[in-house]
Amino acid sequence: MRYLGFRFIRSILLLLGVSLLCFLFTEIAPGSFFDEMRLNPQISPETISAMEARYGLDQPWPDRYWRWLRSIARADLGYSISYNVPVAPLLWSRAKNTLLLTISAMVLTWIVSVPVGFWAAVHRGRFADHMVTVVSALVVAIPEVVIALSFLAIAVRWRILPVGGMASVDSDGLSFLAKQSDIGLHMLLPTLILVTVESAIIVRHVRASVLEVLEAPYVHAARALGISQVRLLLRHVLPVAANPAITLLGLSLAGLLSGSLLVEVVCGWPGLGPLILEATLARDLYLVIGGLMLSALFMVGGGLFADALLLLFDPRIRTGGVDAH
Amino acid sequence: MKRITHLTLLVCLLAGVCISGSSTTKPSVAGEEVQRMAALSGRSGGHLVIGQRAEPKTLNPVTATDAISREVSGRLMADLIEINRVTQQTEPALAKSWKVSTDGRTFTLQLRKGIRFSDGHPFDADDVVFSFKVYMDEEVGSPQRDLLIIDGNPITVTKLDQYTVRFTLARPYAAAERLFDGLAMLPKHLLEKPYREGRLAQTWPLNIAPAEIAGLGPFRLKEYLPGQRIVLERNPYYWKIDRDNQRLPYLDELVFLFVGSEDAQVMRFEAGETQVISRLSSDNYKLLSRNQERTRSQLVDMGPSLEYNFLVFNQNDLTSKKLDAIAHKQAWFRDIRFRQAVSAAVDRESIVRLVYGTRGAALWGNVGPGNKLWVNQGIAHPKRSLDSARQLLKSAGFSWNRTGELTDAAGQVVEFSIITSSSNTQRMKMATLLQEDLSQLGMQVHVVPLEFRAMIGRVFQSLDYEAAIMGLGGGDADPNPEMNVWTANGTSRLWNLNPSHPANGWEREIDELMQKQMVTLDYTKRKQLYDRVQQLIAENLPFIFLATPNILAGADAKVGNFRPAVLEPSTLWNADELYVRTPNAESAGAR
Amino acid sequence: MRIRTAALIGLLLVLHLGLLLAGFVAPYSPIAQNRQLSYAPPTKLHFRDYTGWHLRPFVYEWMIAPDGYVEDQSRAYPVSLFVKGHSYKMLGLFDASLHLFGTTEPGKILLFGTDGFGRDEFSRVVYGGQISVAAGIVATLIALILGSTLGMIAGYYGRWLDEAVMGATELFLSLPWLYFLLGVRAFLPLHLSPLRTFFLLTCVVGLIGWAKPARLIRGLVLSIRSRNYVLAATGFGASNLYVVRRHIAPEVMGNLLTQAALLIPQYIAAEVTLSFFGLGVSEPLPSWGNMLSNLQQYSVLTSYRWLMAPAGALLITSVTYYLLADALHSRLKSRST
Repeated sequence: MRYLGFRFIRSILLLLGVSLLCFLFTEIAPGSFFDEMRLNPQISPETISAMEARYGLDQPWPDRYWRWLRSIARADLGYSISYNVPVAPLLWSRAKNTLLLTISAMVLTWIVSVPVGFWAAVHRGRFADHMVTVVSALVVAIPEVVIALSFLAIAVRWRILPVGGMASVDSDGLSFLAKQSDIGLHMLLPTLILVTVESAIIVRHVRASVLEVLEAPYVHAARALGISQVRLLLRHVLPVAANPAITLLGLSLAGLLSGSLLVEVVCGWPGLGPLILEATLARDLYLVIGGLMLSALFMVGGGLFADALLLLFDPRIRTGGVDAH
Repeated sequence: MKRITHLTLLVCLLAGVCISGSSTTKPSVAGEEVQRMAALSGRSGGHLVIGQRAEPKTLNPVTATDAISREVSGRLMADLIEINRVTQQTEPALAKSWKVSTDGRTFTLQLRKGIRFSDGHPFDADDVVFSFKVYMDEEVGSPQRDLLIIDGNPITVTKLDQYTVRFTLARPYAAAERLFDGLAMLPKHLLEKPYREGRLAQTWPLNIAPAEIAGLGPFRLKEYLPGQRIVLERNPYYWKIDRDNQRLPYLDELVFLFVGSEDAQVMRFEAGETQVISRLSSDNYKLLSRNQERTRSQLVDMGPSLEYNFLVFNQNDLTSKKLDAIAHKQAWFRDIRFRQAVSAAVDRESIVRLVYGTRGAALWGNVGPGNKLWVNQGIAHPKRSLDSARQLLKSAGFSWNRTGELTDAAGQVVEFSIITSSSNTQRMKMATLLQEDLSQLGMQVHVVPLEFRAMIGRVFQSLDYEAAIMGLGGGDADPNPEMNVWTANGTSRLWNLNPSHPANGWEREIDELMQKQMVTLDYTKRKQLYDRVQQLIAENLPFIFLATPNILAGADAKVGNFRPAVLEPSTLWNADELYVRTPNAESAGAR
Repeated sequence: MRIRTAALIGLLLVLHLGLLLAGFVAPYSPIAQNRQLSYAPPTKLHFRDYTGWHLRPFVYEWMIAPDGYVEDQSRAYPVSLFVKGHSYKMLGLFDASLHLFGTTEPGKILLFGTDGFGRDEFSRVVYGGQISVAAGIVATLIALILGSTLGMIAGYYGRWLDEAVMGATELFLSLPWLYFLLGVRAFLPLHLSPLRTFFLLTCVVGLIGWAKPARLIRGLVLSIRSRNYVLAATGFGASNLYVVRRHIAPEVMGNLLTQAALLIPQYIAAEVTLSFFGLGVSEPLPSWGNMLSNLQQYSVLTSYRWLMAPAGALLITSVTYYLLADALHSRLKSRST
């Protein structure tokens, strides 16, 4: 309990550090939001400077950071320069779309990967295991961006799935059920890409950790004593192999908001990723920082959650044994 | 997929007919002075979907500066005088007629009587006066304010009676009536309160309730889905009718879909999800034309655009900055023969062929063949010649060393970098071609792709660059918007911003000519002046002009009255005239 | 097991040797533009003409046709091995002009076709591999050296040092580095040559990547340190240096090798991702990343499929590294138990 409390404080410090560094990053990147207007010969530089002053962009960054921190305390994330609306509701409306995508992908990934990894480990050395190893190596080898583009090209070529956006243009007239299935169809492509990419990694990890346990002396002993395969796997192997799996789960949770940036951009899914990317390129300061902080919050939260789970499940940590993480 | 679209369209049409909702046109009120388009006809009903590369930022015409936001807000609003994008001439719009005083300083506009905003509220001169007050208010900070300040003096707006407004300029301004296009007339009854409270710039964000926004344009806001689309519906009070006295617009709905990138736009268009596509690159145009027989789409190549792409050398005065390495190289950049040699070595034909897929035009000046009214046909178009380039360099004191590198008189190797925006694939390709061209002269050129805003920062503010490939122009055909590029203290005078000593020679002559043409009202005289400006620019090469792309656009076969233009917004400028042909009429094919 | 590891290592060596000797393997210069041959498809190798079968293959020139290219069958150019071609610098040291294969001018053997500027794609893949693989290796070295040093310190000395390092790793793992890199690129000086700029970026990427290896090494060191025999050795009076040299270092080395085999392909892939965002090597130098980033345009992706060649090269290299990592991992496991 004390341990968790300590981790919590560290997480808060971490978030503060992240926010400070984000502010610094955006400070380093040259240019401001209004630079695009300089290209328009009909707008005078005085107008542009006046606009910058109105948003407080000409003030030194420590002042701006301090003011931002104070407004955070009031749960006010500031204003977006491009959209002229408060940042928080804008972020949240997009974050919902991202979470829909990533949570579905995560659930599917785990449903697929755990049994496959298990199965490969149990049938180690045989054809099935080789297939799993080689295929997962292939998928891990290709950069995510290439996989995403290939899937996209196939989907467009063969018109099997709708591409881009979250719902069809005429979906308003449809019934609730039809609307949900329309969203589901649009979600299929990005989810497929995410599941493919993540399963390959998770399968490898599950397989590796199960293998490790299978070769432990007590498992050999149990097998020699005549315990059935099923009981062995479920009662003895699974709990131990669960430890690294829970860490992985924590990492998956942590990446819920940030891991799908590439897929969202490529497939046109209206999530948080494209919003932050565009805001970064446009130097929409508070939107960028708000978005990055939200991602960081999830990352830190995911890690904290995983640690709590580990504490619950793994007695070795509770009793302060060998450092299990 | 297509069948479903057809079915839904049919359902929409039936629904539109059956439901006599508020979106059907209203009968004319007695005394309403509508504008009759005598040559126009079409079929009422249907909807069109248009893909946009990014999300618009706001619906507020006072603060919207990016093209995407203006594409949407422009359909909701109307101006006093509009520029017909095809003829490039002004036409009456909300002002049914106007008189200009002989000295060209006073414009008296007669407004149409009996017209109403999209929420039914009547429109009159009070709205006009209010709109201009807002645009010129420094507190509001509209970027369009600068348009209305001529020589430091703002335009004065006086209401003469309920339907007459007088505009007075401090001095005559050529083609002043073109200024009115793009200045949307705002509803005083909705915006006066926010204006008094100082929050006008924050009103009308994308998620505004439709009841709180009103305009005089052909459409009004129906719905906004964040991150996905914005839906406009017909404005039942729109003040134009066609030759059969049918009230415009023809379309029931206009939908803007946020698709994210040009490639996504093309994919959706091919899939039939969107029906109009603009700003096509030549690669995508070729792709779409391959499938044209099957999809029966209308693909139009409007010819060269008004944009000009160029290479600019940094000739700014760098004495106050610590940029010695660049200052040293400016000795080369400032030599006219060096620039002429570079221009002679550029392979413009390859740029047009490889970058624009032959759908473009080479440029030797700032006004290209697409601007038929103002282009100077007499400017020389010399063919690429490496020999004359070498001659020019020799006469400027350059020579080649043993390894073939070009060196200046002091023996320093000629080496410099060209920056360009990494997100603009066409200019990146031009940079690669230029690099190879100039290497044949022995110059070592590095191509440095920079993120867009970083590049702008260097070119406009820090001046920390050696050469850059950029593009300007494309706004209007008239020379006046180019004032800031060519006059002495112009903000876009990229090769030498804020010169420390007064310009002399050709730069001063250009400055004087531009100032003169701004106050010359007669077109022939203006053309003579501007021709001379173009001649001077082509001879002295402050920019080395490269090429311009053609305007390429496409629409589904069933879109009627599709008339893309060279001026922006090329496909939607006549959104009120677009209509959807019936399924039977499709077999009649494209125009 | 041993044979498989050896085979994989051999394959990797051959690949890397081929990349190192890019000038020899590639028939043309990677930056030579041929503006009349833009987007030409791969040249077909023919073994048979109207006179019958030949042992030596030959090629035809590409002629521009209304809808692409068509073979000009009027003249055949035989392909030979070990031909003299344009000169290059072998290993950057001495001039050479011998090439593995080629054909007589003006015939061209374009195994992977050409890109938009008419540059030979095969030569670009080979030269590009030099940059991409080198970037991957350099970034991996930096990340591993920094990460293992810090990880070992954290794991061995423990307590507040451990807390500090672990806190730093958490910070580094939580930050969105892509946005940072966009900013860094923007304010690097223009006067650096493109290659140096790129390697600077690679170093930054490596510096960022120290966090994950650090955590792994720290965990490893902690577990070794608490093993029975190590505790026994310390009990018997062994010095820190002895414990490190005898027990910790060998296992850490093995782990590092496995990690290297995993990280190199990841950093090569990172180079591809960076190029997609405009942060890669700039023109005219090729790298697998900047060649693939041209495929972002849908029209290019569907019309000119031969430009996917770098993806194939990337695939082969990455898969080989991953299989090697798997093999090393199993060997390490079997050795330590």
